[in-house]
Amino acid sequence: MDSEKIEKKYTPEIPAKEIEELRNSIKTASEKIIAENIERMKKADPKRPEAMKYFDEISNLFGQRQREILAEKQKGKKVIGYMCLFAPIELIMAADAIPVRVNSGWYDTSKIGDRVVPVEVCPVIRSTIGAKMIGLSPFLELSDALISVLTCDGMTKLSEILSDYKTIWPMNVPRVKDATHSLRFWDDEIVQMKQQIEEFTGNKITRKRLKQAIEQTQRATRVFRRLQDLRKGNPVITGRDAMLVNQAYLWDDKVRWTEKAEALCDELEKRAQRKEWVCPPDTPRVLVTGTPMYWPDNWKLPTLVEEANPKGIIVADELCSGERILNDPVGVDEWTMDDMLSAIGERYLMASTCACFTSSDGNEDRINWLVNKVKEWNVQGVIYYVIRGCMLYAMEYSRVKKALDKINTPVYYLDTEYTREDVGQLKTRVEAFLEMLTARVDL
Amino acid sequence: MITVGMDLGTQRVKAVVLIDDAVVSRAQAFSGFDPAKAAEEAVGEALKKVKLKISDVAYFVATGSAMEMAPYADSTVSMMSADAKAGVYLFPKARTIIDVGAEEARAVKCDEKALMVDFVVNERCAAGAGAFIEAMARALEVKLEEMGPLSLKAERASQINASCVIFGESDVVSLIHRQESKPEIARAVFDAMADRISSMVHRLGVKPDVVLIGGVAKDVGFVAALKRKLGIDVLVPDFPDFAGALGAALTAATRAKERRK
Repeated sequence: MDSEKIEKKYTPEIPAKEIEELRNSIKTASEKIIAENIERMKKADPKRPEAMKYFDEISNLFGQRQREILAEKQKGKKVIGYMCLFAPIELIMAADAIPVRVNSGWYDTSKIGDRVVPVEVCPVIRSTIGAKMIGLSPFLELSDALISVLTCDGMTKLSEILSDYKTIWPMNVPRVKDATHSLRFWDDEIVQMKQQIEEFTGNKITRKRLKQAIEQTQRATRVFRRLQDLRKGNPVITGRDAMLVNQAYLWDDKVRWTEKAEALCDELEKRAQRKEWVCPPDTPRVLVTGTPMYWPDNWKLPTLVEEANPKGIIVADELCSGERILNDPVGVDEWTMDDMLSAIGERYLMASTCACFTSSDGNEDRINWLVNKVKEWNVQGVIYYVIRGCMLYAMEYSRVKKALDKINTPVYYLDTEYTREDVGQLKTRVEAFLEMLTARVDL
Repeated sequence: MITVGMDLGTQRVKAVVLIDDAVVSRAQAFSGFDPAKAAEEAVGEALKKVKLKISDVAYFVATGSAMEMAPYADSTVSMMSADAKAGVYLFPKARTIIDVGAEEARAVKCDEKALMVDFVVNERCAAGAGAFIEAMARALEVKLEEMGPLSLKAERASQINASCVIFGESDVVSLIHRQESKPEIARAVFDAMADRISSMVHRLGVKPDVVLIGGVAKDVGFVAALKRKLGIDVLVPDFPDFAGALGAALTAATRAKERRK
């Protein structure tokens, strides 16, 4: 795409023929996995909502959405990719550009990333590097620039490595969340980013356009919260379906996503009235937290939980690939430019429960989220999911475990990799955990 | 009522026959490339010993990493649940069950009804399991069953790092080059393994009584090392390698009774 002539500081030169072969074979495998995941999700719920059809289609990363973005680009629109959720997408939207998240969920590309960084590095990072090296990810390829928020160590160096290929705009995020100067510092970053985006796109972010963008994401959040609420009662949607809808927001058109998710909620509401549950109401209710899980390959854990013997149902998550995407609205008091910008700053910094943060009381915000979810969503067990190399989530486990012990909620630490080979081992553990929850339900 | 538990492990398949709640027979076979066939062998032999036939058995339960390949199985039970069942059956006061097998180590916390309340499994690595002792025995050129008694002869402790079988082996080689004696190196191997297992158990919380089961529990060197590291007594039953199959057989007895209701 762009800037192939940049001197590559990190990545090796790979012969064009090898790149093409790798891309073709992984793409073919990936399309198969996407179709297979969808098939299994359909099978999991014989009365699956009609509205899921749309999300099934949009989940094909090589399909419709890729073509739409390409067409928009040809009309002169810019595409701005981002890695962490802290990238203020309202600013991108207000500049009439397209925001899209580009983290990779492909297992096979992590092996290509191994040519650049050691295997100890988090596989999300290795896989994203590998995807770029062979040009696999449509959304990463279509991005004209990338906002890289420097959260964990992996993300920080990932942005340097990707600068071999792309224009990178790093954003420096303060990690002590509750210090007053942190917010001031972050507000400055937001203002800088606004200028950056305006210059790059050539579009001024006016008060009116920013207000429209914020109102749009607020609408999406409202619908998303409606979906969350529908998962509080007896299950009317599988965890996997809800998670896919949630994650599709990252690459979909925001207006259309909101409409389609609304239609899904309407359907689910009727389903609840008909008492047509996805699974028996005494199926153990599970929450997953920890390292993000990206579509399509890293659908391993949700699939295991919902296809296990005995079965579980995922009713909530605390993941940046899940509920954190849309949980919090930008709260504006007065629609002045300054107010809107500081509301955006506050939304992206203060609302996040990412393990990269600490505060005077540590990351208590995350504990509060989890405890609240367990209580309000009637969660019976928590799976704490960590992929090897994800240091921050691994290190926060002990604290989370203690907090959940206090409210008598079992939690299981599940460690894995970007690989399919360990499914057998993981199945044993997940099933033992669900067996334990089932025994508790019976009591 | 006759029930059978099968434990299809990574190295061996074990079978236990129960009449009501008493063990009457046990047998094992090497898993090899065909765990299902090995299970048939083990079950056949265990039944033959007490002159019973497959058709005499009211209920079969399978456990172990290859449980889904098990023949005859009416249902399966997780290895952790089976551990809890067997641990409390063998020692009614058992609340923490540690199971160290060939390729995996785990610890299960349970209540007085043998119901599992928490568990932890070693982190995707054979360094905390039996395969580690095998590899180290090879490096020391001693037989596997000699490793334990040999380690008890050590006069002092040397150190190796059991973060990985491969690195552990190169640590052992450097001890050999430093001309450390074989008993000391053997003890270092068990210490390193016990270190890993005890930190795993500590993450779960040690609640006495602690019971050690699994094939590695037969190794006196490892048992001594684990007692040193945990600083409390560790109970080891007779036939610890059959505990998983016993747990499955006990589960079979419960399920057979439920089915009759």
